[in-house]
Amino acid sequence: MNICSLIVYTKPDHGPQVTKRLEQYQGVEVHGGMIEDKLIVTVEDEGESMSPVSDTMNELRNVDGVVSTTLIYHYGGEESMEEMNREIN
Amino acid sequence: MKLTRRDFIKSNAVAAAASVAGVTLPVSSTVAADADDGIRWDKAACRYCGTGCSVLMGVKDGKVVASQGDPDAPVNKGLNCIKGYFLPKILYGEDRLTKPLLRKTNGKYDKNGKFEAVSWEEAFQTMAEKWIAARKAKGPKGVGMFGSGQWTVWEGYAAQKLLKAGFRSNSLEPNARHCMASAVGAFMRAFGIDEPMGCYDDLEHADVFVLWGANMAEMHPILWSRLTDTRLTKPGCEVHVLSTFEHRCYELADNGMIFEPQTDLAILNYIANYIIQNKAYNKEFIDKHVNFTKTPTDIGYGLRATDPREKAAKNRNKGKLSKISFEEYAKSVEPYTLEYTSKLSKVPKDQLLKLAKAYADPNKKVASYWTMGFNQHTRGVWVNGLCYNVHLLMGKIAEPGNSPFSLTGQPSACGTAREVGTFTHRLPADLVTKKDAHCKFAEKTWKLPAGTIPRANGKTDGADQTDISGKPMGKTLIHAVAMHRALNDGKMNTFWVMCNNNMQAAANMNDESYPGWRNPDNFITVSDPYPTVSAQAADLILPTAMWIEKEGAYGNAERRTQFWRQQVAAPGEAKSDVWQVMEFAKYVKVKDVWPEDLIAKMPEYADKTLFDVLYANGQVDKFPVEQVTDSRGNKYENDESKDFGFYVQKGLFEEYRLFNSAEGIPKKGHEMADFDAYHKVRGLRWPVIDGKETLWRFREGYDPHVAKGEGVKFYGKPDGRANIITAPYEPAAEPPDKEYDLWLCTGRVLEHWHSGSMTRRVPELYRAVPDAVVYMHPKDAKKRRLRNGANAKLTTRRGEIVCKVDTKGRNKCPEGLVFVPWFDAGRLVNKLTLDQTDPLSKETDYKKCGVKITRA
Repeated sequence: MNICSLIVYTKPDHGPQVTKRLEQYQGVEVHGGMIEDKLIVTVEDEGESMSPVSDTMNELRNVDGVVSTTLIYHYGGEESMEEMNREIN
Repeated sequence: MKLTRRDFIKSNAVAAAASVAGVTLPVSSTVAADADDGIRWDKAACRYCGTGCSVLMGVKDGKVVASQGDPDAPVNKGLNCIKGYFLPKILYGEDRLTKPLLRKTNGKYDKNGKFEAVSWEEAFQTMAEKWIAARKAKGPKGVGMFGSGQWTVWEGYAAQKLLKAGFRSNSLEPNARHCMASAVGAFMRAFGIDEPMGCYDDLEHADVFVLWGANMAEMHPILWSRLTDTRLTKPGCEVHVLSTFEHRCYELADNGMIFEPQTDLAILNYIANYIIQNKAYNKEFIDKHVNFTKTPTDIGYGLRATDPREKAAKNRNKGKLSKISFEEYAKSVEPYTLEYTSKLSKVPKDQLLKLAKAYADPNKKVASYWTMGFNQHTRGVWVNGLCYNVHLLMGKIAEPGNSPFSLTGQPSACGTAREVGTFTHRLPADLVTKKDAHCKFAEKTWKLPAGTIPRANGKTDGADQTDISGKPMGKTLIHAVAMHRALNDGKMNTFWVMCNNNMQAAANMNDESYPGWRNPDNFITVSDPYPTVSAQAADLILPTAMWIEKEGAYGNAERRTQFWRQQVAAPGEAKSDVWQVMEFAKYVKVKDVWPEDLIAKMPEYADKTLFDVLYANGQVDKFPVEQVTDSRGNKYENDESKDFGFYVQKGLFEEYRLFNSAEGIPKKGHEMADFDAYHKVRGLRWPVIDGKETLWRFREGYDPHVAKGEGVKFYGKPDGRANIITAPYEPAAEPPDKEYDLWLCTGRVLEHWHSGSMTRRVPELYRAVPDAVVYMHPKDAKKRRLRNGANAKLTTRRGEIVCKVDTKGRNKCPEGLVFVPWFDAGRLVNKLTLDQTDPLSKETDYKKCGVKITRA
């Protein structure tokens, strides 16, 4: 199980288009930042020991309109899906 | 709202990114951020490069499960690079070593035997026997230790004591010899005190950035992102990049230059000449704060004395400065005209001119950055100095934005190797074994008899120091490259490599390193978390508790000292380096290694162990074990303190502070805060006076050592003046010729750090860049009938390797030069490199030798 968050810097005013392109990738979600040209993005996977997340992140760098990407947070625990989907409140 | 654990972690991840980016999100995205997810978060200094980013480590059930850039860290402000994000995984490689392993046959140590698991006791007993015998038979250079700029501060300090005071041997070197020695040499010669005067804040203050042989985009990505921000937001900001091949920094460059290897010497002299010819220099500054000097020329290449290039050198290894006038200095750089320099360096004239103008403009603040391009250079001390010359001529130094800045490659090359002084010639806080008075100060501080520490020349108060053999001590200094030669020649018989991978890292593996380690007379110990190339070439492997498996401290390139607490336990029987050094000291008695006349000065020491006299001396063992607790009440283990029965890290650090912060110390300017203070902050930049850190040294108003009215004072020098040191262009040791017709340059890539012993065990990083390739120009490839992706054989006078050709990748070489990264244990590029060094700093030049490339 891997969950990463990153900032994706876009060309000026490209936020909405880039968001659409990014969300076509599996496990990718855009949470905001379109006005600032700094998209707040999460990438997650079901998590084998070798994470596809890093491949996705490498690919994002090459998406049209993306200037650069910076990782901020990485969670890489080994819980089962059941554990992850357990309600905590 | 129903919330799953997955949602919860995700919302934390989102909140962290949004806060770093300064983006406001709808409330629902961040709702969970304050709840408790069972993860304990605490700061740690990153394990990799010299930038010194702070990362937050998330631990749950004794395991690191998450990480994030530390938003409270002034260095990285919440950001982190790709290596940083997979940091926790370096702890959990499948082949972690968990037991000591000794080569044995039929139950006994045998150099040609197979590795078998042994107890720590058997490991240290075997080792101690070998060390005591070698010390007695071969003198102070008979034993040796090769440590690291990745050692924590106290690990370096403990090792410093063990070798220099315990074994009475100056055969202690760090791998920082291979990376920072030239920088140190230049600091000492120009300023009389080590490390940069500026700090990372210059990244926001400068108008012009010049990169000299530093690929910051890949090697220091966080600093590069700060530089990029300034370039994109500050009007008029410009970036100049110089290298011998094109790399990722060129994407941002306003003036990207590719120069012929070694001609950086000429380019810097051209800039100085331009400044003088145009009378742009800051006359008031140089009149008040600068001395002009020259250094001997034609000094050789640090090869074995029998090498014809050494025999031909007029002033082999010489570096004594002599004073000259400003006019003489001006004359010395006069030959470096635009015409001549452009022809020699192959950099177009307009680009050189643009660079010179940037330095010469009194209204532009210039920050120069360099790393291994300058340091791993047979004229490394010179070329570092030539850059200071330019800054000093303009007075562009020691103030916000005006900053010649030597970047470091290792997390504690500064904090440990340099500040603790784990070099053959150094002691803590810039003291040196060449000076009798410095050694005496160290002996007094350590409560040891005068004359314990070997002097560089083996003499104290004018008389010979006696060795355990009864003979005079003789000359005692031996640098890193010479250590491998001494092993090869059988002059050094025991060698302990700790926290680095020197079999892979040292140049000329085939002719020197490997035969030296496998010499039947020698006993080699390697301490490492993983079975590296070095570990496999050793006779005894000691399993190491790494990084956050112990309480630690690193010092980064901007003089920032940072602490962390032990976050998790080490696997199996793995133990930290500080534990290993101190525990080993219990197996050696004073009378095993000290001569009678020295023991006679403190007869009560004779039957004590080195542990007793070095670490149970009433100072190091002064602080009782305490429960380590952070400000939020979280509790942490400290395995070393539990084992030894005192607060090991605190005791070592506080004794170390007697060298840099106590009354009556020989050299001021390195003051540090007390141990407890560092656990509360994101590091402090020394000198720390009254709890306050120093951002710019030597400048009134910033540096408390500069009194009111003094303006600028280079107080490392007795007269308060810095040295401008003239030095000419001289050719490289092994330029391409007809047969070996290309330059070979080696270095790193973003995804891997150093020899790859950690990063290659992170599946994501391994997969991103699995193997080293040879980057070359398409025309050079075509000439040799090689295509992109084809296998090429690289041959030098010393060895050969095979790797794939890359003509389209991130590094674009000019015709005539190829680049090969050194992280790959499967393609050991140091079979190819020449063991040439700067004759002054003894640092290896890995950037220039002749290579032949054919189809494999």
